[in-house]
Amino acid sequence: MTATLLAQADWFGGHALAVLPVLLGFLAVWWLLPRAKVWPRPVGVLLGLAALAGGGVTLFQPGAAVTQDLLFGFFALVAIGSAVLMITNRNPLYSALWFVVVTLCVCGLFLLRSAPFLAAASAIVYAGAIIVTFLFLIMLAQQAVGVAAYDQRASQPLAATLLGFLVLGGLLCALRPERTAVFAAGPALAQASADADTGGQGRTLLSYPPALGPSPLSQRGNQPLGTVRGLGRSLFGDYLYAVELAGTLLLVASIGAIAIALRTPRRKS
Amino acid sequence: MSELHNYLLVGAVLFALGAIGFVTRRNLIMMTLSAELMLQGVSLNLVAFSYLHGNHQGQAFAVFIVAVAACEAGVALALFVALYQRRKTLDIRAWRELGEEGLVSGTGGEEPPIAPVLPAALESPRLTPAGRVPDISKRRADNRV
Repeated sequence: MTATLLAQADWFGGHALAVLPVLLGFLAVWWLLPRAKVWPRPVGVLLGLAALAGGGVTLFQPGAAVTQDLLFGFFALVAIGSAVLMITNRNPLYSALWFVVVTLCVCGLFLLRSAPFLAAASAIVYAGAIIVTFLFLIMLAQQAVGVAAYDQRASQPLAATLLGFLVLGGLLCALRPERTAVFAAGPALAQASADADTGGQGRTLLSYPPALGPSPLSQRGNQPLGTVRGLGRSLFGDYLYAVELAGTLLLVASIGAIAIALRTPRRKS
Repeated sequence: MSELHNYLLVGAVLFALGAIGFVTRRNLIMMTLSAELMLQGVSLNLVAFSYLHGNHQGQAFAVFIVAVAACEAGVALALFVALYQRRKTLDIRAWRELGEEGLVSGTGGEEPPIAPVLPAALESPRLTPAGRVPDISKRRADNRV
């Protein structure tokens, strides 16, 4: 039952092998673009042919788990590296652009976890709307040439980085694989293990509290993941009032933003 | 299932990096961007657990996170525009007097200087005059006649 559901939920699995031809095609196009010094063209042509052949082959083959792992590694590494570049860059403009890269990589991870609607929504909202308004603010506020003085030096870099990595170390210790394995094995096994230890030894951080039983949020749904229909049923069925509240919040926030940012003409004294 | 562990790890790293950026950077824009980075880590966690449980609850929460982040960014940017119009700087420490009295900053005298507050005369842009000023009153008088 769960195996078939997981197989259905594997939204990305069918399309995973299509990535390699796309990559080859990217290399080919990039190789073939005009440059000051012409690169050897047969290489680009061969790359393009390989991309086309690979695309033709993968259209008729099922996906493999190896590609998912490769994609996860790529997205995770690029997201983390871009996040580091974002918080260390001196120019807020480049930081905003690196944040776009982080957002797109996180959207790729969403796709790997069968959340295509969420990936599209956060790509549109974050990388589209929020970053554009940030760039407008940078354009309005930082018209001086060069980097502002307050961007040159971070405040207390040693203490802050130490704090952040202490938090990270604590999180990583709490999220060790042998601790999450009990949780990941499903509510039934977690409940069994929680019932098994009576004296409290062996209780993990992520195990369910034995008195409460399995959480209602962990009930396995009866629809495949990754469909907009299922997400819509969850949003407008279970969370209808929350959706209304979120809409009200958006309305109030937009009114507030207009009211705050309106420039009242200042009286000349 | 070590996949869940991997995703939680990436979310934790993003959250920690966002926290570091929020604490260290002094630019208001950078602080807001770092807060958004922390939100990204949290929604990655939610989506990973949603996949683990096979239902849509985590994704629904992540949608709410996106909505709240949009509200936050809008209000924050409007506030920054209003603050910038007063002080002509995005330095967070220019607004230090809004905090409590007598807080020790603790950097030990290594603090970079706060951008100077410009006089009020410089707040409005000065345009260089181009051409002579047209005499509007005389032309109106001619049109009436």
